Amino acid sequence: MFRILYIEDEKEIGQWVTKDLMERGYEVTWLESGEEVDKHIAYKDIAILDVMLPGLDGFSIGKRIKRENKEIPILMLSARTAVEDKLEGLNFADDYLTKPFHPDELVARVEVLLRRYQKNDDVLELQHLKIFTKEMRIMHTETDEEIQLTGKQFYLFQYFIRHLNQILTKEQLYEGVWGESYIEGDKTLMVHIRYLREKIEINPAKPAIIETIRGIGYRVKL
Amino acid sequence: MKIFRPFKFLRSLLAKYMLIIFLAISIVQIAYFTLAIFVLEIAKKEHGDIVTEAEITSEVEEKWHAEAKNIKNFTDEVVSKHFEKWQERYPKASMFWVGQDGTLLTTLNVMEQLPSKWTPAFTTKFIKERYGGDPFTIITFLGGDESNGFIVIEIPRDVFTPPLKHIYETYGTFLFFGVIAIILFFIVVSFLFFKGIRKRLLHLQEAMEIRDVDGLPVEIDVKKMDEIGQLQQSFNKMVCELRDSKNRELKEEQLRRELIANLSHDLRTPLTKIRAQSYSISKEELTEEGQQAIKAMETSIISIDALIENLMSYTLLMASKYKYEAKEINVLRFVREQMSTWYTVFEKEGFNIDIELHSFENNEWQVDPIWLGRIFDNLFQNVLRHANSGKYIGVKTESTEHYDAFIIRDCGNGMKNESNAKGAGIGLSIVDIMVKGMSLDWDICSSESGTEIKIKHYKVK
Repeated sequence: MFRILYIEDEKEIGQWVTKDLMERGYEVTWLESGEEVDKHIAYKDIAILDVMLPGLDGFSIGKRIKRENKEIPILMLSARTAVEDKLEGLNFADDYLTKPFHPDELVARVEVLLRRYQKNDDVLELQHLKIFTKEMRIMHTETDEEIQLTGKQFYLFQYFIRHLNQILTKEQLYEGVWGESYIEGDKTLMVHIRYLREKIEINPAKPAIIETIRGIGYRVKL
Repeated sequence: MKIFRPFKFLRSLLAKYMLIIFLAISIVQIAYFTLAIFVLEIAKKEHGDIVTEAEITSEVEEKWHAEAKNIKNFTDEVVSKHFEKWQERYPKASMFWVGQDGTLLTTLNVMEQLPSKWTPAFTTKFIKERYGGDPFTIITFLGGDESNGFIVIEIPRDVFTPPLKHIYETYGTFLFFGVIAIILFFIVVSFLFFKGIRKRLLHLQEAMEIRDVDGLPVEIDVKKMDEIGQLQQSFNKMVCELRDSKNRELKEEQLRRELIANLSHDLRTPLTKIRAQSYSISKEELTEEGQQAIKAMETSIISIDALIENLMSYTLLMASKYKYEAKEINVLRFVREQMSTWYTVFEKEGFNIDIELHSFENNEWQVDPIWLGRIFDNLFQNVLRHANSGKYIGVKTESTEHYDAFIIRDCGNGMKNESNAKGAGIGLSIVDIMVKGMSLDWDICSSESGTEIKIKHYKVK
């Protein structure tokens, strides 16, 4: 069960979000101001912060949390939508969601962050694959064999797993895995995707795991 | 401050200019005057204080008379000695002694033809001829008594040329070049004076054109307190005021943005509460009508959210307070990333998504990524809200001879036909302002079978 620290001064919104998150199986600590953050943050997996708060604002609280522990993902949840605010927030926070938001979107974003920070030690089941995300072990459920990936294939697949459900452009993938800027027309990524598909897909000609999004890039959907 | 006025005047360019004009008027005279003094000093050194011809001749005359008077022995030997003594002083002089009976006795250095016997007639003629003439002639009785005859000295007049004239003749070239040198010196000084002014003015102009990071001119280092220095000071003062005014403007802008951001925040908070309530209701057991009402409410919340955002942006844009920071970005990559976020939204709505992005000749456009993102967001939002019935979104690239473009196409009912969510068109107004603000262009082509929007970037030739 993931533990969420949620700071929100608006009672109605706070109650609603807390209730919804708890119904979805999270353990939520809801504070109305940032005064007692230090007391609670130590055992939390993620922090959801409002910006406009009495006393210390959300940005200051977020920065303080990050300074003390970089391993806690922070999601800013604010009605301040100006670009300047978003930029300031994203300077330290991992995500910025504006109000009014849909609870489904909030949960989806929380999940992405938990996965990115590898707080999630769940075993992912992706079609015929069973993936142990912590050690990135991939099992073929039908043959019960472990799939061995070479260096780049491994990093590529890991990148997909960390960004599940997100459409990744060729540039993002190349730069995320190879760490170099992508040159238009470079076929390296395509070649590696083909090799990866040959290893993990049942029918590489009709890929079910790594989806091609025509004109944009690729996606691995849970 | 008034006490320092005279000094201030002396430091001014006007004073310097007046000095140059004064020098220009009197330079030749001053030059001659200076040289004359100089030459006079040389003359004094050579000839003592006597300078004019008359003074010299009268002195010589007196001396000749006095010495002749003092001769007591009237022998040929004594007179010859006397003549030799005078010759030492005036080498060009010629001297002779005519005795009491008119006989030519002792001569020295006599070139002319003189009679050996002087008649009273010849003597008279001689005196008449020599009076005031050249050579300068002095006739005196030997021993101050006519009984011993008279002695004559003839000195060419050029010997008595006044030293000034003499020196002028000797140093004439020097004097001429001296004057020319002084005039040249004056020209050089004037040239340097105006060159200095010109240089400082040019420097001032250059300094006025330099811009600081905040786009304002840089203050100038004031070195001299003349007119240009004062101008520089005034310029610095102006820069200071400009900076103050800019800071004030920035502060106002900040306040305005803050106000709008707060307003937007205050509107969104209750909207979030409405969503919280509607979400809670949607979790209850509802009739079909109830479910539809909740769905309509959800749609309205999304619309109001978009409208608030557009209204705020529009207000800022109209007041030119929307931050604009253009930089070179790879648009193809940018649009691809933009599409990756919208893809899921369209996918969820069951759209047929057709993306075909080909590389342009030049993918680097000078734009503000936030503005470009906003343009695409608004256009996609429009497709989602007004062209939902067509269930098609196409994003393509087009390259012609004149421009590169992104084309966004939908299969809705077109813009002339009312859609279910028609608004005041603020979204498109924002697109228009932003497109033009980034020196791009756009076309809308709308018919009943759909709308096509082109965002064009003209090629620079």
